[in-house]
Amino acid sequence: MKSPRRLLNSILFLLLFFVIGLPFVPLILSSVSFGWPWPNVLPDSFSFRAWEYVLADSSGTWSVVGTSLLVAFIVTAVNLLLAVPAANALVRNSFRGKWLMEAIIFAPIVIPPFVAVMGIHLTFLRLGLTETILGVVLAHISPTLPYMVRAIMISYNTLSVDWENQARMLGAGPISRFVHVVLPHLLPGIAAGASLSILISLSQYLITFIIGSGQVVTLPILLFPFISGGDPAVASAYSLLYAGIAVLTLVGMDLALKKYYQNKKAATGKG
Amino acid sequence: MSDLRIINIEKQYPQTKQQKDPAFSLQPVALTIKEGEFFSLLGPSGCGKTTLLKLVAGLMPADKGEIWVGDDHLTAVAPEARRFAMVFQQSLLFPHMTVEDNVAFGLKMQKIGKRERLADAQSMLEHVGLSGYGSRFPDELSGGQQQRVALARALVAKPRVLLMDEPFSALDPSLREEMRELLRGVQKEFHVTVLFVTHDREEAFYLSDRIGVMSEGKLLQIGKPKEIYEQPANVKVASFLGLKNIIEGRVINNRFVSNDQSFEVPVQTSIKTGPSVMIIRPETIRLVPDNIVKNLQCLYFRGVIQQKIFNHGFYSVKVQAGEYLLTCSFTSQEAENMKVGQTIDLMMNNGDLRFLNE
Repeated sequence: MKSPRRLLNSILFLLLFFVIGLPFVPLILSSVSFGWPWPNVLPDSFSFRAWEYVLADSSGTWSVVGTSLLVAFIVTAVNLLLAVPAANALVRNSFRGKWLMEAIIFAPIVIPPFVAVMGIHLTFLRLGLTETILGVVLAHISPTLPYMVRAIMISYNTLSVDWENQARMLGAGPISRFVHVVLPHLLPGIAAGASLSILISLSQYLITFIIGSGQVVTLPILLFPFISGGDPAVASAYSLLYAGIAVLTLVGMDLALKKYYQNKKAATGKG
Repeated sequence: MSDLRIINIEKQYPQTKQQKDPAFSLQPVALTIKEGEFFSLLGPSGCGKTTLLKLVAGLMPADKGEIWVGDDHLTAVAPEARRFAMVFQQSLLFPHMTVEDNVAFGLKMQKIGKRERLADAQSMLEHVGLSGYGSRFPDELSGGQQQRVALARALVAKPRVLLMDEPFSALDPSLREEMRELLRGVQKEFHVTVLFVTHDREEAFYLSDRIGVMSEGKLLQIGKPKEIYEQPANVKVASFLGLKNIIEGRVINNRFVSNDQSFEVPVQTSIKTGPSVMIIRPETIRLVPDNIVKNLQCLYFRGVIQQKIFNHGFYSVKVQAGEYLLTCSFTSQEAENMKVGQTIDLMMNNGDLRFLNE
């Protein structure tokens, strides 16, 4: 019984590796190549020129990474503040026009960002928000918020009002109820929503490009000219860096969350 | 004295479009529960007893009426500030906290220091027989243990009133009895006022100092368990209490005559002329001893045994008398020689009969 299962597991793992891992191989080769003319299977010669350029202070990579992460984290924090009350209202109450509210919140998932961003751009021009980080952050909220709300709504769906009533009957005011009862229950949903929010914010090109007008430079903005402009080696190196940062951020968040739960358990365990 | 006073509280649920039947409403309820008293609300599901409990807790706003404890007017006070506690049907222990922290939660909300509140929690856990379980998490406990923790958690902050919403109905019968014993002991020990909601007659009779019987949003009768059982105020109460032998008939000239004419008994003048019922409690029916001189204080009748069932130490015997199938309780000794199909003479004191106008 066990060995066929193990076999299946290894086949699936290999498949996963080929689908996810294989595309990285040419990317890595390309990033260390020095000329790779068609139809050669391998590059002619190797050099670390691209990486030297990317990692050098003069290319400004690190400040761009900083900007990208700053935008992503602010967007996620704002999303959190918006999504928790929104999810609460959408799950717990039934009111006239609720479907319309949900439709508006979830619309960015189906409507192309280009449609909205033109209007946003015009408005932001008048408000003087273009070319600022604040403007980019605000513009990033529309494509990321739906995922955050969705994830937290699922958490709220499984939280019966009885829990809060119970806490209430034990003397817990609104803040205590939220901190001690609601938040711990929402945490997995918040983690899922925050991961999506960070990833989507990190990968926005069009919105950042239009609202930031080249003044707010995030990784995709930095990457794009190299892809279209003909230095595939540097583009590959940036792509790898970009993927690495996304993965690191997610892993970091996951670890922080696990640590939070462990601490909680350890602290209560000690009593 | 800090009695709990419920003054003409009422609640009307708005009628929704989907439901065609009239909206449920809780008729005005007036009730005083003495300090340290164990009061049960007994009624079938959907009779409004949980609604009443939530109104008292403040988890639901009342349309009219007031709640007082002693001299404190609590109608407008938020539930978290009423210093009540509540145990729900599910234990609702916070899953991310240990048993100890769960029990200490109420004290934490009162800003009591960590050492003190954990010590209190420990001693309360001891009272419910769970000392040593403090550092476990709720999912490591059985259903009965979880409900014990919920009880400890409710009691630890010394609530003015403990509200309980069918707390044992999710447990299996033997565990339920154990919990009953425990609750009774703890309630007497801490002298806590309890408002208990249940649909289980046995539970209510076992635990309560007084019982309020509810049906369809109305509080029908309040009284000590014995009073309610022996003198139900009306047919609804009697049938909900599971009283057998409800015989329909009419009262004419201060005499009750059953519909099939087989029973005729004098009644007190307080019973009005007209359609009414007679209730015979199974344990008041006796065999007629030999050589007895019949007197007017007793009702005699003859019946045919239809069924004989052994039931927890006594026999439950069904006797066909006239058109009625009466349930009687006999001791094993009395029932020894009874056989199905046999005709027997039975009697009861007129004073044990209960008459109600319909």
